This record gives sequence, structure tokens and C-alpha cells, in this order.
Amino acid sequence: MRWEIALLAALLVSAAHGQKFQSSPFHGDEASTGVGKASFRLRCSACHGIHAEGGRGPALDRGEFEAGDRDIDLYRVIENGVPGTEMPAFGARSTEENIWRMVAYLRTFQPEEGQSAGGDAAPGEDLFWNRAGCGGCHRVGSRGGNYGPALTRIGRSRSLAHLRESVLQPDADLPPGYYVVEVETKDGRSLRGIGQGFDDFSVQWTDAAGNFRSYYRNEVASVRREFLSVMPGTYGESLSEQDLADLLTYLQGLRGEGGQP
Amino acid sequence: MTMRLIGCVLVAGGLLGGAPVDAGALASAQQDHESWLMYGRNYSAWRYSPLDEVDRSNVARLVPVWMFQTGQPGKLQTTPLVRDGVMYVTGPSNHAWALDLKTGRRLWHYSEPVPTDLSLCCGQPNRGFAILGDRLYKVNMQATLVALDRRTGDVVWEVAAADYRQGYSNTVAPLIVKDKVVVGIAGAEFGTRDFIDAYDAETGERVWRFWTVPGPGEFGNETWGGDSWRRGGASTWITGSYDPELNLIYWGTGNPGPDLDGAPRPGDNLFSDSMLALDADTGERKWHFQFTPHDVHDWDSVADPVLVEVEVDGKPRKALVQANRNGHFYALDRVTGEFLFARAYTDVNWADGIGPDGRPILIPGHVPDDEGTLTCPGMGGGHNWHATSYSPQTGLYYFNSGDGCQIYHGATQDFVEGEYYLGSAMENVTGAPREGSILAVDPSTGDQSWRFPLVSPPTSGLLSTGGGLVFAGTAEGYFMALDAVAGRPLWRLQTGGPVRAPAITYRFEGRQHVATAAGGSILVFALPD
Repeated sequence: MRWEIALLAALLVSAAHGQKFQSSPFHGDEASTGVGKASFRLRCSACHGIHAEGGRGPALDRGEFEAGDRDIDLYRVIENGVPGTEMPAFGARSTEENIWRMVAYLRTFQPEEGQSAGGDAAPGEDLFWNRAGCGGCHRVGSRGGNYGPALTRIGRSRSLAHLRESVLQPDADLPPGYYVVEVETKDGRSLRGIGQGFDDFSVQWTDAAGNFRSYYRNEVASVRREFLSVMPGTYGESLSEQDLADLLTYLQGLRGEGGQP
Repeated sequence: MTMRLIGCVLVAGGLLGGAPVDAGALASAQQDHESWLMYGRNYSAWRYSPLDEVDRSNVARLVPVWMFQTGQPGKLQTTPLVRDGVMYVTGPSNHAWALDLKTGRRLWHYSEPVPTDLSLCCGQPNRGFAILGDRLYKVNMQATLVALDRRTGDVVWEVAAADYRQGYSNTVAPLIVKDKVVVGIAGAEFGTRDFIDAYDAETGERVWRFWTVPGPGEFGNETWGGDSWRRGGASTWITGSYDPELNLIYWGTGNPGPDLDGAPRPGDNLFSDSMLALDADTGERKWHFQFTPHDVHDWDSVADPVLVEVEVDGKPRKALVQANRNGHFYALDRVTGEFLFARAYTDVNWADGIGPDGRPILIPGHVPDDEGTLTCPGMGGGHNWHATSYSPQTGLYYFNSGDGCQIYHGATQDFVEGEYYLGSAMENVTGAPREGSILAVDPSTGDQSWRFPLVSPPTSGLLSTGGGLVFAGTAEGYFMALDAVAGRPLWRLQTGGPVRAPAITYRFEGRQHVATAAGGSILVFALPD
């Protein structure tokens, strides 16, 4: 009942001012936050984690949000998405009330410590382009390779935990569309690359040299798809804790802003 | 206005419409090689055509005849109807078309706006028309049933089956039985209480309703704890079948609500995840069989109820078979509802088979919880809703299967009208994406004759023909013909859009044609002249 009154009041204010609510009318209402949690799991958990712990999308269980600290900031992100990232707009797929329920659910998480990797971005950048060799496959702005995902805005779209996991365990959560194709030709050659198409009759991929390949399955001896990364899984051994902190700090700072490369 | 004028001119010239389709034409639909008159082709839902001009020896020469692009957003899931030189196609978002069977040119276009405040789980598809007399019948997204004049596409009547603001919607192809239009409903993901309806084909007046979740005082209500029956779901979103001899309509039902949280609804939750046999005249229940009592994995049992004669343990039986989403193939006696047998057709880790009483033998540890439980098959099944086919020529039953597992998370949530009422969600298994297959099964035993693997969970329905072929499509856009005996691919075409519909076939101007929807297009094929 309490939230219904709040909702009515907010609606009246909204109608009078021609704008949406500024904060969720469902705070403290367990039933509504439960519905918000259910909606979150259905629509958001594939990227943000089933417990909002983050994954492909930022962690949302820290009580701090990149979109802004006000409810209306969260509402707008859910409604409109974030252009230039993988965050789509849900405005057309959800009622206004239900977005506010999701906001109320996300607000049940309490703020924690800051999310800095605690390193230094400058040596991290040096590692990225030189000793760790990341730039051979990954692009930042106009610099770098194209074999792996572009990281120009990666600091905006990944949680620290996910970045750390991606560096140390590249197979743990592959970006959408990334998989490895292994093909055995009829004359016995083994070919390998990042898959670009894989269906019941054909296969397409790009090899490490950047060459695009396409075959019908009956043109080759065998075709295999593996949901593994081609990125080395050895950075846990080759990087010190300080190296890792520096590298993650550099990655966290990649936000595609301010004329960054 | 222009289209209406064209329609009038064509009717005046006798070019569009043809003879009315009467109940006799529907009863003998299997013998009508020039037409496709109902969702499952015949009342037994065989989706088999005896046409054999296109066969295993020549199917590799199949070529396109025409293609129709709807020009509307959304993918087609429709089974087109064909009658007297016209193809009738329903599309997503309340669109429909009549097409010239010779050229593919549009004859009329029907559309109705979709309310913006609909509660929809799964897009805005529609699965086809039904036809009777000079009328076509279809459901609209906002839970209405509409009758159109098939010569013009004009609305004759439209009735609301339910209030869409409560979470109801509709996508099913209606089934004509005698003078009635039988339809199901969707909405279980939003805590609706669902039903099967029959309407007078002439007036649109509702003749009977069977609530798939019984109310107080009705048989089965005691299988719902408290007042959970009010939000029990059990949607009926795929077309049933009909046995004229027994005068019984068979219709499958969907999951109970909330989907993944069984705590608010203690009990078996009849008639969710069930097969129902209803008297065609009154809607009275003759028998029911529940595949998954107290389901907590969203394993709808709406898939085609296919009527076949089988021999089980040496005895001939009038059977109803269904490839159920819970991973088992079932055979029931369609006269009595007696459980005959069940066989797993994909990886199943939640049940150690089906007991002699037809109930699953549960393996502990598969109730969804907050941390998640790994269960096979995944939420989509097993075999989901996609149309299946039975070939009396090969004696095999063809259906597709989604193969693999998912992690099921459960959590309690309160009900809010018009909002999702799922009780949590599914998670994919990292590094183990679900795949799929097309299967040929002996309906007398459940033995698999062949299995054609798919790299993705299946999306299309199936068609079998007297040419010894099974037509199928894939998520990646292939439309293909398989050898019905050996399961080998004999022909394919990359259509450029996911095939989410089953194919149909018919003879037109002396040639066999095969038609399918792919993406937002209808494609028609035949052998070269």
C-alpha cells in the first residue's frame, strides 16, 4: 500500500512536470524488489551475473554504479541502454514500473570498498604493448591487432573481477561470438583460427595471420569447434602480482574517452 | 481501398476464393493433394503428404519458384494454408497475407495494431490460420480471435478470449472441429490461469471453455496448494489434434506458474504439463495424462499430439504420441489415456526413467535453488513446440530435439499482474552450448532409427512426404531435405534467415511444390520445368 501511494504521488508529480520519477517508489517493498530481482535475472543476468556479481557486464552488487548514483541514472541506463557498449535498451521491453522494481532490487546492495586494481596505469600500458604482448591481438583505438576483441572501452564494460579472470583464465567466459575452429584438410593439414561462422554444412574463420577462410564441410576431412580462447593461459605465471595490478589498472582506464587512442 | 478493389475484381472474376471449405473437406484433408487446410495437415497432426514427384532421386534438382518478403519486422513461424490457387500466411505482430500461388504476388494484407502494453515472453509470432467455409481464422497477439473473409481479408468478427492486461496473449493456429473454432492461449510466464476455448465459427460466440487449471470444486483443484490455482498457468499455445471417430480433441498444456519455483504451489498442479482429451462438442474432459507433475523446469507439454496406430507388446493400440520437452518420448492410449511407454531421447539427468504409472522416477538434487542446479535437458527441452511429422510410408515419427543442459536458479517472488512470474531464471553452462538434432523414432517402441545432429538447438518444424523425404530448417538459415529412411541430407539451400516454421507441400498446376518460411520470407520450390 505504501508504495502504491508513493507511486501515485510520483505519477502526479511526473504528470505535472512532464518527467519520470526521480527515485524508485518501491524501496523497502519486499514484494516489488522480489519481482525486480526476478526481472533482473531474466533480462540482465546473462551479462551481469545471476547474483549481480558481474561478468561480461559490470558487477552491480557493489552499491556503486558507473551510470551514476541516483535512481534516475539507473533507470535511464536500463531504459535506454548504453550506446557503444553491449548494454541494450530495455525501455520497449519493460514497463516503467518494472524498471523501477529492478532499480529497487539493485539498491538493496550496499556500497563496498572501491574497485581500483591498485596498480599504476603507465607500467601497465607498457606491459600491454611490449612484454605481455597483448597489443599483438587486441586493439585499443586505432593501434593493435584484430585477432582478439577490441579493448578500447573495456574499462567501461567489464568489472575488475571479470578483467582479472579474463587475463588469468581466458577460457572462463568467452566474449559473444568467440570460439576456435580447427579444421583438418583432406591432404592432412591442420588449420586453426577464430570462428566467424559454423553451421551444419559450412565453416568460416580468420587465422592468426588475418586470412579469412571458408569451406563447406564436405571439402575438408573434419571440422571441430571449441569454446576456448586462443589467448595464452599463462599470464598467471609470467606476470608478477604487481604486473597484474598495473595491467588491470591500465585496462580499467580504457574507457574510449578524451581522445584516448 | 486499393487492395479491397483488387479483391472485389478478383472475386467477381472468380479468381480468388474457390469453393467453400466444409467439414468434409477438412476430414479428408490428407487426400487433398492440391491443398494444405490445417496446421498439422490432417486431424491426426501427421504433417505428411503422399506427394512423391519430388523424391530422393531428384530432390537435389529442387529450385526456387518464387519468394515473398513480408516487409515487416519479425520472423515467420507460420504454417501457410493453401486452397484454390491461394496461399494464406500469418506473420508476426498481427499481420497476414493472401498470396497468388502461381506468382507469389500479394493479393491482400491484413494487419491490426499490437497494443504497446502487452506482456510477452517470446516475441510476437503467429503460427497460422484455420479455414472453414469462406473464412479464415487467426488469433491476434492481444488474446483475440478474428475471422477474416478469405477473398478480401476483411474482418468478419473479432472476439477477445481474455484481457491481455492480465498477462494473456496468443500465438496458436486455431483448429476447426465441425462448426467450431478451437483455440488455446498463452500467458503462463505472467501468472495467468489458462484454458482451451471453442467458438461458433459463424458468430464468434464462445461455445465452451475448459480451464486447464481447475477452480474450487472442480476435479484437480486439490492439486494446487492454497489459492495458487489462480496463477497456475498451463498455457495451450500449440494446436491440438482430433479423432473424429472418438469425437475427442487432444491438446497439450504448458508449465505451471511460477515456472521455476514450486514452493508457492504444492501438489501435482493439474492440468499443467499434461495431455487433455476433451469432448469436441462440450469441452468435457474425458481423460488427462500429466507428463511432469509439479514441474519446476518450464517443461511445457504443448508439442503436437500425434495420432497413430501402433503395436505395443503385440497388441494394436490407438495411440497418441508426443516428444515431450522433459526429454522423453511418450505413447498413450488415446481412447483411455492409459500410459503405454516412455523412452528418453536426449540426455536426461533429472529422472531415472518413467515408472509404470507414467510418473517420472525423480533423481534428487534437481530442484532449482538460488545457487543453481545443473539439469538436462535445458529449459527449452528436449523437443519444444516445433511441428513434428509422422510418415505412414516409413512408419517413423520425426521430431527435433534441443540437446544439452542448463543451470536452473530458483527464487521466491511475489505475483504482480502483467509482470513476469518465473520464480527465477536459467543460466547457460560455460563452454558447453546446447546443440540439437533431428530424430526418426519408431512410435511403437521409441527406438531411434536415425539422428541428424545440428550445431544449434533446432528452430524449425518438419514435413515428411511420399517421396521418402523429410524437410527441415536450421537456426543458421538452411532449408534442407533429408532421406526419410537414412537421415542423410540430400539437398539444401541457404535462405539467409533462420527457419522457424515447418514446410508444407502441395500440387499446383500439375507440379509438386514445397514451401517454407525463412526469416521474414516465404520461399516456394519445385523441380525445374
